[in-house]
Amino acid sequence: MNYCKRCVYPQIAVNLEINNDGICSSCGVFEKFKKLTPEFWAQRKKKFEELIKEISKNNTSDYDCVIPVSGGKDSYYQTHMMVSVYGLKPLLVTYHGNNYLPEGDYNRDRMRHVFNADHLVFGPSVEVLKKLNRLCFRKMGDMNWHAHCGIMTYPIQVAVKFNIPLVIWGETSWDISGMYEPEDFVEFSARARHEHSLRGFEWHDMLNDEKEKLSEKDLLWTKYPTDDEILKVGVRGLYIGNFFRWDPNKHSKMVQEKYGWKPREVPFERTYRKFSNLDDRYENGAHDLLKFIKFGYGRASDHASKDIRDGYMTREEGIEKVRKHDHVVSSDLNYWLDYVGMSEEEFWRVADTFRDPRVWRIENGAWVKDNVWGTSSAYGPVYLSEEQSKEFNKRQKNLGLKNNGK
Amino acid sequence: MKKRRLIPVLLLKNGWLVQSKGFQFYQNLGNPVTSAKRLSEWASDELIYLDISRDEVYDLRRDDLGHENRRSFLEIIQDVSKVTFMPMTVGGRIRTLADIERRLSLGADKISINTAALLNQNFITEAAREFGSQSVVVSVDFKKIGDKFVVMSEGGTKETDYSPLEWAKIAQSAGAGEILLNSIDRDGARTGYEIDVIAEVSENVKIPVIACGGAGEWAHFAEILEKTKADAVAAANIFQYTDQSVYQAKKYLYERGYNVRPPDLLTV
Repeated sequence: MNYCKRCVYPQIAVNLEINNDGICSSCGVFEKFKKLTPEFWAQRKKKFEELIKEISKNNTSDYDCVIPVSGGKDSYYQTHMMVSVYGLKPLLVTYHGNNYLPEGDYNRDRMRHVFNADHLVFGPSVEVLKKLNRLCFRKMGDMNWHAHCGIMTYPIQVAVKFNIPLVIWGETSWDISGMYEPEDFVEFSARARHEHSLRGFEWHDMLNDEKEKLSEKDLLWTKYPTDDEILKVGVRGLYIGNFFRWDPNKHSKMVQEKYGWKPREVPFERTYRKFSNLDDRYENGAHDLLKFIKFGYGRASDHASKDIRDGYMTREEGIEKVRKHDHVVSSDLNYWLDYVGMSEEEFWRVADTFRDPRVWRIENGAWVKDNVWGTSSAYGPVYLSEEQSKEFNKRQKNLGLKNNGK
Repeated sequence: MKKRRLIPVLLLKNGWLVQSKGFQFYQNLGNPVTSAKRLSEWASDELIYLDISRDEVYDLRRDDLGHENRRSFLEIIQDVSKVTFMPMTVGGRIRTLADIERRLSLGADKISINTAALLNQNFITEAAREFGSQSVVVSVDFKKIGDKFVVMSEGGTKETDYSPLEWAKIAQSAGAGEILLNSIDRDGARTGYEIDVIAEVSENVKIPVIACGGAGEWAHFAEILEKTKADAVAAANIFQYTDQSVYQAKKYLYERGYNVRPPDLLTV
């Protein structure tokens, strides 16, 4: 496996491209962003204001915009910009997937008070959620599909129902992998939602499962509005990160000082950051562990790569974080197994079927991969049957990997 | 009077849909099918689908998704033709009549050839004879070298002795049904089209010319319709940034009185 020479991202990271100099597209795009001058940002700000005006001119609603919020630091930053800086009246919309950490609950419920905003919190029943957790874990190795789907669907449904054309999102979608550049002015799209957030699955893929009985009525909140409905209201989703410099460390500090936002009190096991993903106890835990199981990297790699680019740490320090956190099997896995009633044995049997042959190889009954620090190591026993292991090796062979995935 | 067409272009590189900038900087956008489906839903007049891979490796590097990770261009084209409802031109890496036949049989309505035609003009003639002129598009990539525009081959890497107009005329006499005229310098630059070259070529050939390279806003499309005789205006990256992009672009042109089809949505 090839790794970026500047950050710690592996070639396998979503949509990533590593160029001939060994630098990944994420770092490439970041470099472009970093070189941007204050004048540039002043122009972006102007463009943002023009766009808001243009989109809002057909607004027949009493609300100025929809802000999809989890209650996290980014939600606070987005709302701060729209309320405190621009003086708009937003409708805050939260998809509640029943995974909040206590600090996350506190931050979410505090929002409407500190921003004097109306806040709509929506969630499906816990039975539906448990079914989706199990079903999507088996189907795509991701128990959190319901959350990606709810977050990316319900606020747009609300925008359509309430006739609110302007939706304000946070970070530029997928700038993590360098899909877009600043000048692309990318907006929220059903394509990116379907392909990347929902992994190419929609509600109808969740019906007719033998084990998990779900009906269409259970999944009304997963249905994305039609183009026709969206055009009628003129709904457009802007990423505020496209117009104002995005610095999570800075934002986190600001929202703590200004609005009493709380970071995590206990450190996470799979990353060193304390201010990310408090709305979802699994996002840094079991869900992210699956990313490591599939692709051999996790949140610590994500966070370290960003922090290396932002100048908060050196690559060496980043590698240490990865070495310490990336592979950790966190305790919330047990929490999740109890939640959905699954044994750990079954978890590993299913999870192992999602190991990517571009990353992992089977050696002496263990899973082995190349590390960012240059050696290979084993990361636990193989739970596949003999037949499945054979199948895995065959797939690996068929990939025709030149020099081991590089 | 015949409507002028607005044509989105999709670029495929090693199994990924990509943005291209200057024929050398590529960014992975996503899987090869979803975008095509969206462009179809927005009632695009046509679609141009180009394979710009430099080798035979097609891999999305993901096997846990709701869509198939196809390992060959032909499989991808087959998938695309299943979800699209507009005429599709398929190009890239075409060298033989058999290559053309395979693409047409998988759902392409036209094919586009570039390097193979420059290597052997007879290939245009043979293709037109075998499959009909209407299905043969000759794609012309050009670049400014010194103070002259020069046609380039092999994905913009090799100079030829032709100017865009010379080569377009030759392609026309050899039996090409359409010319896809693409500026390498303006690829992904957002600065508008290479108007002079497009105007010159479209005025001096009888077959339809499709203008490509440089669209950064809807107004650039209008400029082509205004200042050149190009039959169609094509663009790639710009249609990937916003939802209902093709609809919005058409709406822009239609509302300003240009001779294009009214904006529409396709409900299948």
